[in-house]
Amino acid sequence: MDIYLPIAEVAVNAPLIVALGAFVGFISGMFGIGGGFLMTPMLVFLGIPPAVAVSSMAHHVAASSTSSVIAYGRRRAVDFRMGAVLAAGGIAGAFAGVELFRVLRLLGQADLVVAASYLVFLSVIGALMLVESLQAILRRRRGQPPPPRRDRRPVWLYGLPLKMRFPRSRLYISVIPPLALGGFVGVLSAIMGVGGGFILVPAMVYVLRMPAGMVVGTSLMQIIVTAGLTGVLQAGRNQTVDIVLAVLLIAGGIVGAQFGARASSRFRAEELRSVLAVIVLVVGLRMGLDLFLAPDEPFVLMSGLGG
Amino acid sequence: MIGPILAVAAALAPPAPSTAPSHTGGGAGGQAAISAALTDTTVEVKSDFRGARIVLYGAVFDPAARPSDVVILVRGPEQPVRITRKQKVAGLWLNSRPVVFRGAPGFYRAASNRPLEDIANFSTLRRLGAGVDHLPINAPAERRIETRYGVRDVVVYRQGADYYVWRRAVVRLKEKAGLYHEDGRGVRFVDRGLFRAEIELPTGAPTGVYRADILLFQGGRAVSTRTRTLTVKKVGFERALYVWAHDRPWSYGLASMAFALVAGWAASAAFRRD
Repeated sequence: MDIYLPIAEVAVNAPLIVALGAFVGFISGMFGIGGGFLMTPMLVFLGIPPAVAVSSMAHHVAASSTSSVIAYGRRRAVDFRMGAVLAAGGIAGAFAGVELFRVLRLLGQADLVVAASYLVFLSVIGALMLVESLQAILRRRRGQPPPPRRDRRPVWLYGLPLKMRFPRSRLYISVIPPLALGGFVGVLSAIMGVGGGFILVPAMVYVLRMPAGMVVGTSLMQIIVTAGLTGVLQAGRNQTVDIVLAVLLIAGGIVGAQFGARASSRFRAEELRSVLAVIVLVVGLRMGLDLFLAPDEPFVLMSGLGG
Repeated sequence: MIGPILAVAAALAPPAPSTAPSHTGGGAGGQAAISAALTDTTVEVKSDFRGARIVLYGAVFDPAARPSDVVILVRGPEQPVRITRKQKVAGLWLNSRPVVFRGAPGFYRAASNRPLEDIANFSTLRRLGAGVDHLPINAPAERRIETRYGVRDVVVYRQGADYYVWRRAVVRLKEKAGLYHEDGRGVRFVDRGLFRAEIELPTGAPTGVYRADILLFQGGRAVSTRTRTLTVKKVGFERALYVWAHDRPWSYGLASMAFALVAGWAASAAFRRD
């Protein structure tokens, strides 16, 4: 059941793409991440040009995130106000990121920056998250009480101006850290072609200190906005969105996301985090490996003339 | 299917007109000529497109029956090639500055009844651009390669062994993608003077107008040439989407994203009951 993709100009196996969409959608709904960091490498492996993979995937991310954010919203597990602040930062970041990416492509170093970003961000975050979640699991197993919540209020979180109340998250903090976080994730999403959930989720837990129950739904809300904007910008500026590919991915993704969102309530938060940490770490190391291994083919054709 | 029938008819014709050329050609035995046709002149790219196979039929007319060789060169629309090389810098494999090759066809196939280097000499093949080693992608590039340091375009003169390594890499990567191919046994004589060749288009073949040059070689020289064109185009739904995405990219982007969001909402609504 092969189908020709009019923009990518390659033929793909349709059921395989739908299954891939469903698998990544499940992960997305379960962990509150877009899943782009998993999807992009897999699509490229299947022979789809990287530029088309990155752009069309934004649609899949937006669709499956919408699907699961509604499910979380029903359980009152979305902090819409925090989501809006993060998204505002994300929009500014996405515009800046698209420009930065254009310059990097002109320099011919986009590949390097993408690979290095994957290596650095995924490995560091995966490792930190893994250590933290394993500690939490071990403590629970040994029957130790959770460590006392550090009530030291970091100056940069509480001391900055423009304080705002986030009733759902029971926070009263400055809007500058979440805005900056959203902006940073927006830049990364344009460069790495990902929603940025894998950074957002841990940052919301450890930096913004949001309640764990709110994190996943809120992160997905910010991802919809960032992915939606990136998808439209990619279509408008680069004409690299393949709607046929997007439809196949979405068909699997929206269903997978529903099951993922449902499955996540059956597991403990720290167990979910430890699994996510392992996935993030493995993908990060795998992507970064290419920087260290001697390539079989030292030459690489680059698509298009790039700017 | 009109192509082969025409070709066969033409092949049957020689006995009658053969007197005319031999008359004008004098004792040498007259002019040799070649004729050819494609089974399809248009390839339609639809959702089930998985590449295509075009059959080229033709005939050699030579009253003197001198030893003849047939060379078929198919070139797709020109696509500049941007290529980079991975280099080890401080233990890391990084991309070098990309090099742009202009004049490279998006699709290239050379087929002949025996290896090209047996048919004609180096300079003839080079002049005709016959064979992947003689593609004209080096002609302008040898004098002026565009390298991009930083954001500025810099013109460099670059020749020698290193340059040929790059050029060979272009051909190798294109061959790997099924876009370039050279087949020294690609033309088969099925009967006296009547030949046949197959042109295989991969799924990634660029759309546009292809030009097929059919050359008759005698004694290492091209004595007769025919040119046929082949059009590869997207049709129907695929074409509509392609045109929309390229002519009105913003409305396409907004519509496809709107679809994605509605699909996500619909799935959520559908799953609400259980």
